[in-house]
Amino acid sequence: MIGLLLVTSLVIGVYGVRAARSTSDFLVASRRVSPNWNAMAIAGEYLSAASVLGLSGLLLKNGLGTMWYAVGFCAGYVAVVALVAGPMRRSGAFTVPDFAEYRLGAPRLRKLCGCVVLVIMLLYLVPQFKGAGVVLSLVSGTPYWVGVVLAGIVVSGSIAAGGMRSATYVQAFHYVVKLLFIAVPAVYLVVHAGAGTRAEALHPEWGTHFPRTTPVEFEVDTRFGLDEPVRVTTPDGTGIELAAGEHTAAARTEYVFPAGAAVPHPEGMPDLGGERWSRPLLNSGGFPLFETWSTLLAITFGCMGLPHVIMRFHTSPTARTARRVGVGVIALLGLFYLFPAVYGLLGRVLTPQLVLLQGTDTVAVVLPAEAVPGAVGTFLTALVAAGAFGAFLSTSSGLLLALAGGLSHDLFQGSVPRLRLAVAVGSCVSVLLALPAQAIDINVLVVWAFTVAASTFCPLLVLGIWWRRLTLPGAVAGLVVGGVTATGSVGWSILLPTPPGLGAALLAQPAAWTVPLAFATMFAVSHLVRPPDWAEHAVLRLHSP
Amino acid sequence: MSPRREKLTSPQTRIALARGNRPAQHLLPIPGPVDTEAARRVFRAQRRRALRTVALLSLLLFGSSGALAALPVLGHVRAGGMPLSWLLLLAGIYPLLFLLALWHVRSAERVEERAEEERPDTGGRPWPRS
Repeated sequence: MIGLLLVTSLVIGVYGVRAARSTSDFLVASRRVSPNWNAMAIAGEYLSAASVLGLSGLLLKNGLGTMWYAVGFCAGYVAVVALVAGPMRRSGAFTVPDFAEYRLGAPRLRKLCGCVVLVIMLLYLVPQFKGAGVVLSLVSGTPYWVGVVLAGIVVSGSIAAGGMRSATYVQAFHYVVKLLFIAVPAVYLVVHAGAGTRAEALHPEWGTHFPRTTPVEFEVDTRFGLDEPVRVTTPDGTGIELAAGEHTAAARTEYVFPAGAAVPHPEGMPDLGGERWSRPLLNSGGFPLFETWSTLLAITFGCMGLPHVIMRFHTSPTARTARRVGVGVIALLGLFYLFPAVYGLLGRVLTPQLVLLQGTDTVAVVLPAEAVPGAVGTFLTALVAAGAFGAFLSTSSGLLLALAGGLSHDLFQGSVPRLRLAVAVGSCVSVLLALPAQAIDINVLVVWAFTVAASTFCPLLVLGIWWRRLTLPGAVAGLVVGGVTATGSVGWSILLPTPPGLGAALLAQPAAWTVPLAFATMFAVSHLVRPPDWAEHAVLRLHSP
Repeated sequence: MSPRREKLTSPQTRIALARGNRPAQHLLPIPGPVDTEAARRVFRAQRRRALRTVALLSLLLFGSSGALAALPVLGHVRAGGMPLSWLLLLAGIYPLLFLLALWHVRSAERVEERAEEERPDTGGRPWPRS
């Protein structure tokens, strides 16, 4: 299985490097290819570990509402098409700092934008490394930290070997790999699972039971509740009667649950298959509608602020094609997002123990081998693992380059050796941050990045493109206010104890107030000074056919 | 063996790089349009369409999630063995998003085509077509 994964990744990598070398130049190549290829390339870069691993894992753990993340990831491109794709292409800017300088004419704003790019890229990179670490440690049996460090070395190496991200065809190829490697096992699993399992997956109200005798080794102290008493055995064969109610399992305890026993629910998590789980709204703190809306706002409007998304508009020859490419991306993402739910729904029936182990992010990789015994299952698991690794490789090398570019160019005036150094620094920092992030869900971190983007670059771009009176002080004030509140409040909710009730929800899902706050700040402060005479020309030029 | 690689930078980046650490004296000159009034009309027409699309997108996203919250019955009615609310979330929204974006692109392109037709053919373009 490990061999197969490595061979597959190697083939992807070798193909990638070769194609990057034979493509004389990124821009010319992308102008020669059709918008469809370009759309596939964008989708290939956009689908990260959060989509391939995170969605199915979070669905298994928190319930159906998780798929709102996927809807947001896709809806983000509707906002991009409607608000930024065409004008960004006409501005000639590659990055947000470039655009800020074009529109507001202030080189110093570049440094501030560079700082924001760093924050967003780091928040986005850490979960990618976490995903890679989880997959590698699962496939090879090494500890988590070895997987993360290995992933850091692989990505830095692949960038040094020739930067496989710059070729459009390679990115398009990555989309096909990700789609096939997640869709084929999903379809096979649904067909193979049998009518009983399928019905069970679609009827959460029947309850969640262990499908077979299942050993569960708790890695950390875990509190869980039982609805009915169950007789478990320890590895040395002694039986323990667990009564209904609350229990605490110390770290490294191993219980063997008999087949058919109800799955205990860990403290603070929704009952697997219960009302809260099967209702399609995000609900981790008791305010489902607020949480769903705030998350949708963050993801939909954060998408346009992601530096590696913005950069991609430049690969279209005209503003008109840039918009059309955006529509193609929506179709491709919609197709892809039909499949992650399969793993989550079947995972509840076939691998419910992952919830107790706090390892739900691995469900897409673990499930095929559990569901289909023998070589076919192993093959399918290797397929998903390779797809996830490919997702990690393509997204994180793109992110790392954007981060390094911001570091070496926008913050310090630098040259190519500096860029190499920045790649090394960026991957080291991401690896170090990913090490303690094992217990945090991939998607929580990714939504954090989207929230910061929605509270900083989204108002800057939207007001910069559609409002003539945006001025430099307004942009600076809005960026600072939005960036500090969004980064701070999610960080608080993850790292520090939070106030109970609505306060916790407002801190964990702050987009509902940070995005309007950033817009309002930019709007209000912009009115304090007069915009320069050329500001109107700069705006009109973005919309002139 | 491998073809020559070209370093690509956007015009703004080139200016910033050439400037180095010196403070900016002047930026990329922005040419004014030949017919400012026509350019303003295009801008306003595009802004109306952008606002309309964003409003419809918000209605679609917040409306559908609101409907799932307000109508729990959607979780009990089943279509093809699957609860209706799951079907809506897992597969129903993506085609709507696609159609919305397609519609926006068509209508934005129509504005641009009309502006091209109305432009008096004086031989000079206000700026190179991007």
